[in-house]
Amino acid sequence: MTPVLPKSPSGLLVIGYGNTLRRDDGVGPRVADAIAALALPGVHALACPLLTPELADPVSRARVAIFVDAAVDAPLEVQMRKLAPADTSQIMAHAASPATLLALARDVFGHAPEAWLLTIPAEDIGIGEELSAFTRRGVESAMEEIKRLGSGERSPGPPL
Amino acid sequence: MSQHIVIDPVTRIEGHAKISIFMDDAGNVSDAEFHVVEFRGFEKFCEGRPYSEMPGITPRICGICPVSHLLASAKAGDAIMAVSIPPAADKLRRLMNLGQIIQSHALSFFHLSAPDFLLGWDTPQAKRNVFGLIAANTDLARAGIRLRQFGQEIIAVLGGQKIHPAWAVPGGVRSPLTEAGRTRIRAWLPEAYATTKIAFDLFKKTMDTHKKEIQIFGNFPSLFMGLVEPDGTWEHHGGKIRFTDSSGSIIADQLDPQKYYEYIGESVQSSSYLKSPYYTPLGFPDGMYRVGPLARLNVAEQMGTPKADAELKKFKKLGRGRSAVTSSFLYHYARLIEILACIERVEAAMDDADLLSEELRADAGINSLRGVGVSEAPRGTLFHDYTVDRDGLLRKVNLIVATGQNNLAMNQTVAQIARYYVKGNKIPEPMLNRVEHGIRCYDPCLSCSTHAVGQMPLHVQLIAPDGTVLNEIACG
Repeated sequence: MTPVLPKSPSGLLVIGYGNTLRRDDGVGPRVADAIAALALPGVHALACPLLTPELADPVSRARVAIFVDAAVDAPLEVQMRKLAPADTSQIMAHAASPATLLALARDVFGHAPEAWLLTIPAEDIGIGEELSAFTRRGVESAMEEIKRLGSGERSPGPPL
Repeated sequence: MSQHIVIDPVTRIEGHAKISIFMDDAGNVSDAEFHVVEFRGFEKFCEGRPYSEMPGITPRICGICPVSHLLASAKAGDAIMAVSIPPAADKLRRLMNLGQIIQSHALSFFHLSAPDFLLGWDTPQAKRNVFGLIAANTDLARAGIRLRQFGQEIIAVLGGQKIHPAWAVPGGVRSPLTEAGRTRIRAWLPEAYATTKIAFDLFKKTMDTHKKEIQIFGNFPSLFMGLVEPDGTWEHHGGKIRFTDSSGSIIADQLDPQKYYEYIGESVQSSSYLKSPYYTPLGFPDGMYRVGPLARLNVAEQMGTPKADAELKKFKKLGRGRSAVTSSFLYHYARLIEILACIERVEAAMDDADLLSEELRADAGINSLRGVGVSEAPRGTLFHDYTVDRDGLLRKVNLIVATGQNNLAMNQTVAQIARYYVKGNKIPEPMLNRVEHGIRCYDPCLSCSTHAVGQMPLHVQLIAPDGTVLNEIACG
């Protein structure tokens, strides 16, 4: 069977994911909400607790997708790295990795967009809704990265 | 010397488990146990929290069926306040539950189970998954994803987000359906019906080619339990409890769900974090019962919607005479009938002006120190039982979830499949694949049932009567 190609993949899709009840782990959804509030032309943002298979549909319709996640035990700065679709032998239950979602978008919906993983270092993932001051500073850098990518000023990093 | 097979981990289910298969001295399978080896302890750490927070806390138990916990929790709160919620709020909760059943059943059928029976048991595990299904039938895989998307859309339209929406509250719900939301839901209906038809056609062919699986995948007598309306119509959020047996006879009917403790006991095994509920009048383990789609269709006399009723008649014919349908392989068929019933009910609800009402919430203080909320989750009947103090702080929490209630039946299913395939000390590959699927028929959710995190890899051990592990294999 031939996958149905989206009519014209367009726009920038920001997907922020994480648990907003585990302090800094919720930084991804908070960035997505902040981007949505800016109402930037051609930019859509989704805040989710986890990546689910049906997100492959909107991902396939985007020209560029940015996945925003918290990073624990990682470098202390915000990082933007290019993503490629996963090896399709990867098993998936109800949640997926960004690379698996890209593979689903490509294989089922006919298009995997150019994609980036934007990670924001997390300091405290204990129970709570407030971000740590450290991670709040990362939010500002992350927002700038997204705006730069949205405006066509790419910020390349090493591929994952 | 007798033996013991362990399967660890089990894949494509939610959570982490292992299977032990016990052998007798003659080298035949004597018994099997499905162990859940994760622990979360929601019941304990919720103690001390205000009951009103529970609809915000308990959906975090699970990323697949958060709505089920949300609704059962809100209903327990209604009971503590001793209020009747506004009719519009009840209808809106029901609409969200329909969306939840659609999305969860679509995931179970298309992503988790279809790769087994469409690609074949002997396809390597690395290919027997959703990506293998995509390679074999992209349109089907896409349709399955979009059917789940439809269910998620209903949840998002009502609750503002697809997962963990804190929308239902003790006394009602926070917001109504909007006109724009109604338009969004309506737009999905034709595609949802079309996908369901494809799935029915597919599974009916599967039933023709999988007669052996229907015979040996959990095909045994048991009780069945589910909610029904007073006239025996399928129910998913209100109604009363009915038990039937495998002959199709009703053995208890119109039981008060809030008094579940009068007829359901909970047995605990040292080998698993999963509790084993049973029907107390028959004792443990004779009171084994099954819940979920197969059970709900066995206890129901009609679905209450025309297309699903037509399918229910065909389903009932699979039981001999008036007997129940006892094969757990047919959980898949039951799931499809429930999806169809849910779509029909969603369609009917779209014409109900009450759903746009702003009269959505009753308010009261603490009027009862104990409240039980019951709802049909996709996998089966879900009970939330809270005891509070005069300030509304939780003193005790008891959650009875579908996977626990199916625990004894899953053990029997594994034993039945193993008896067919295991001869001697070997763990044959065909048995492993089929045992995994036997469990998958129940679509177990261990995150819910142990109140656990992570994927469900499978570990099987073959164990002798003296406890010696004679063989073991792990996958996933």
